[in-house]
Amino acid sequence: MFEQLSNFRNSLPSLKSFRSLTPLGRRELRQGMWFLSPWIFGFLAFTLIPIIATFFFTFINLKITDGIASTPKWVGFDNYVDLWNDNQAGVNPKTWFQGGTPGALWVTLAFGLIALPVGIFVPLGIAVLMNNKHLKGPNFFRSMFYMPFIVPFVAAVFLWGGMLNSQTGWINRFLVEVLNMSKDSVPLWANSGAGEWGWIYATYTIMGIWGIGNAMLIFIAGLQNVPTELYDAAKVDGANGWQTFWKVTFPMISPVIFYNLTLSIVGLFQYFLVPLVVNQGTGRPGGFTMFYNLYLYRNFFLFQNMSYGATLAWVLFVLILAVTILLFWSAKYWVYYAGESHS
Amino acid sequence: MKKLLYVLSLLLIASMVLTACGGGQPPATEPPAETQPPAETEPPAETEPPAADKVQLRWFVGLGTGTDPAQLPAQEKAVADFNADHPDIELVLEVVPFDSARDTLATQIAAGAGPDIVGPVGWGGSNAFYGQWLDMTPYIESSGFDTSVYDPALIDFYQTEEGQVGLPFLVFPAAIYYVPSMFDEAGLAYPPKAYGDKYTLDGEEVDWNWETFTEVAKRLTVDTNGANATDDGFDPAQMVQVGYANQWQTHVAYQAAYVSGSADIVSGDAPGSYESAMPDSWKSANQLVYDGMWGDQPFMATGPLAAAPEFGNGNLFNSGKAAMAMTPLWYTCCLDAFRDAGFEFDAGALPVGADGQPHGRVDADTIRIWKGTPNPEAAFAALSYLIGPEGTQTLVVGSDEVAAAYSGLPANPEFQQSYIDGLLERYPFTTAETWDVFKAGLAYPDNPSAEQWQPNWNEAWARQQTFFDLLQNTPPDQLDFDAEWQKLVDDLNAIYAK
Repeated sequence: MFEQLSNFRNSLPSLKSFRSLTPLGRRELRQGMWFLSPWIFGFLAFTLIPIIATFFFTFINLKITDGIASTPKWVGFDNYVDLWNDNQAGVNPKTWFQGGTPGALWVTLAFGLIALPVGIFVPLGIAVLMNNKHLKGPNFFRSMFYMPFIVPFVAAVFLWGGMLNSQTGWINRFLVEVLNMSKDSVPLWANSGAGEWGWIYATYTIMGIWGIGNAMLIFIAGLQNVPTELYDAAKVDGANGWQTFWKVTFPMISPVIFYNLTLSIVGLFQYFLVPLVVNQGTGRPGGFTMFYNLYLYRNFFLFQNMSYGATLAWVLFVLILAVTILLFWSAKYWVYYAGESHS
Repeated sequence: MKKLLYVLSLLLIASMVLTACGGGQPPATEPPAETQPPAETEPPAETEPPAADKVQLRWFVGLGTGTDPAQLPAQEKAVADFNADHPDIELVLEVVPFDSARDTLATQIAAGAGPDIVGPVGWGGSNAFYGQWLDMTPYIESSGFDTSVYDPALIDFYQTEEGQVGLPFLVFPAAIYYVPSMFDEAGLAYPPKAYGDKYTLDGEEVDWNWETFTEVAKRLTVDTNGANATDDGFDPAQMVQVGYANQWQTHVAYQAAYVSGSADIVSGDAPGSYESAMPDSWKSANQLVYDGMWGDQPFMATGPLAAAPEFGNGNLFNSGKAAMAMTPLWYTCCLDAFRDAGFEFDAGALPVGADGQPHGRVDADTIRIWKGTPNPEAAFAALSYLIGPEGTQTLVVGSDEVAAAYSGLPANPEFQQSYIDGLLERYPFTTAETWDVFKAGLAYPDNPSAEQWQPNWNEAWARQQTFFDLLQNTPPDQLDFDAEWQKLVDDLNAIYAK
């Protein structure tokens, strides 16, 4: 990654190169900038300044409802200290489960331990199946597996919410009426109590599988780029199916896995929609569905505590950045780029 | 180039700092805005009213009803009529989409550029901006505004520790909506229409209290086999009809207001001294509702059941799967599908609480004046026009030319019959007696309102809502009611202390 950054930096034009422009070049530059100016203005007004402003907000006590009666004051690092001690946010692991709530960061990480492997290996497994030469009508199956991804996710969440309704959902009705399970033993899915939070995360994960079509498609593209001569060589060497997958396929598609994993981790920290729709964003039960991003949303837009919301957002940014850097650092140990030179 | 970047950076930072800190707004303790120095509050020259002698007023609509395109013509007509009658004032209508209205208003106020008048807005929307409303007492007195036309209880309704922050405009008293055919099928008498009347149960006259109410509700709760909740063999997992729906009254304070009566939700009078003051009777009231959902003889829908499509996705009474619903008059907004499906409803009096008194709820929308307005007298003139006879005629009653904008019982009795006539036309199976029940409910407002102010209102309200959501969705084997209640109290105290 650092190599890539270094290359990128070297490719940027220097101030010296601007100074050495010919009059024609300068005029073209001016005209180019003129045409770019709407975008530049939009970027400044709607992206850069708000980003800087939110960073500034983290050092004041701006709360635009109760606080509008008074001018915001400079509070230094108080918001960060509050966040560190906030057991509902759970940024400090020592606060996890204090006050009967696991903490939003704990919830996010715990859910990630279940959802991330599923979100990577299920689409990979399906992609391997879709790429199997013995499969009849692969395009039909690919379309079928991809199709749910086209359905708007909110609609899908409502749909799954109905199917997994603990009292009227057809899945529980099937379990009771067809499989003769007792009514007391069927899972309550998203309505499970705090003692059965695993069922809630399982419910969310099942809903997430609905949208794996895109990841599956990327894996199929990666699988199809594996040179067939490698498989032929492995066959000649007497490799079995598992050995072929582990020694040939996996290394060759590791950049695709890396890409999907990076997006999944970023998506995990931004996880929001499902708990908002299914559990009304209340954190029920006992804070086990209060994901970090949901907590951020509530502080910003429900409690209108702009400063604390901004602090949560910046810490989220730092967390994602740290995890991403760690991931990029780890890549050299398990991601294989064909044709890449290693010193 | 370096210098340019430096200047640009400084400008960026300066603009950000100015935006964040700009606009001094009046502190909560500041006297009414007419005492403010005009130089600070006068709009900049480029936004001066077109005529030098005209005062320009902004009317902010969006915190409550009024944003639907169909509501605009009546609001625009009211503005035009007011402007025609007041050549020295120009009233300008500003309609902001409901979803962004809170943020927009908060930003405007934070920038010191709030609108002059705001509304219609209920208690919830008003509390989100607690401390920003003008005490109208001096203007009511100086203008001679006639408050005698209103029920004194409704005037008191808007008398808070900040003064008279509102005047009655639209009111929504609560009653029991019920489906007569379901009562007929169960062989039960209808709920009484008059407060204080007895109920006939199994041939005996009994008090129409919560005990009677729950018994009736249980008998109206039916499973797929036709058994009701009091029958042996009743299957709660197969309910096809519930006896009672707390229709969109899903909050700790709402249920407590109905069952045990309103109370101060918080004690203390200064930051640092605030504490939850929810009485034990509120805990009992919520326990009653919880048992109604999850008890051995349930008579209400649990959260999962109420959210099911066959139970109306939350609009339960409208789905025709509930025999009774207790909710304010505004619910007439949402019963067209119910009517079109061939169902009929009527209205009954609310049951009395353990203290022998009926406990009702009255939701209310009104128009308020922002404390920071530079023109409080003109703003009061506009407000008194809009909520007065002329405005009520245009905005609530309507005319052949322009349909009414708002649906609510006018607080001014002179206009109530016109509104009722509209309801009789919309729901032809109802009678004048149906709506008299609602009017009688005006005598039992929840005062202090269930939506009363609490410190850190948004967060405290959300925490209470979360508790009720937990009750709706968690069966007894996974919920310790007492522990959760205590946690609610502890959390509220922590929120108040923030």
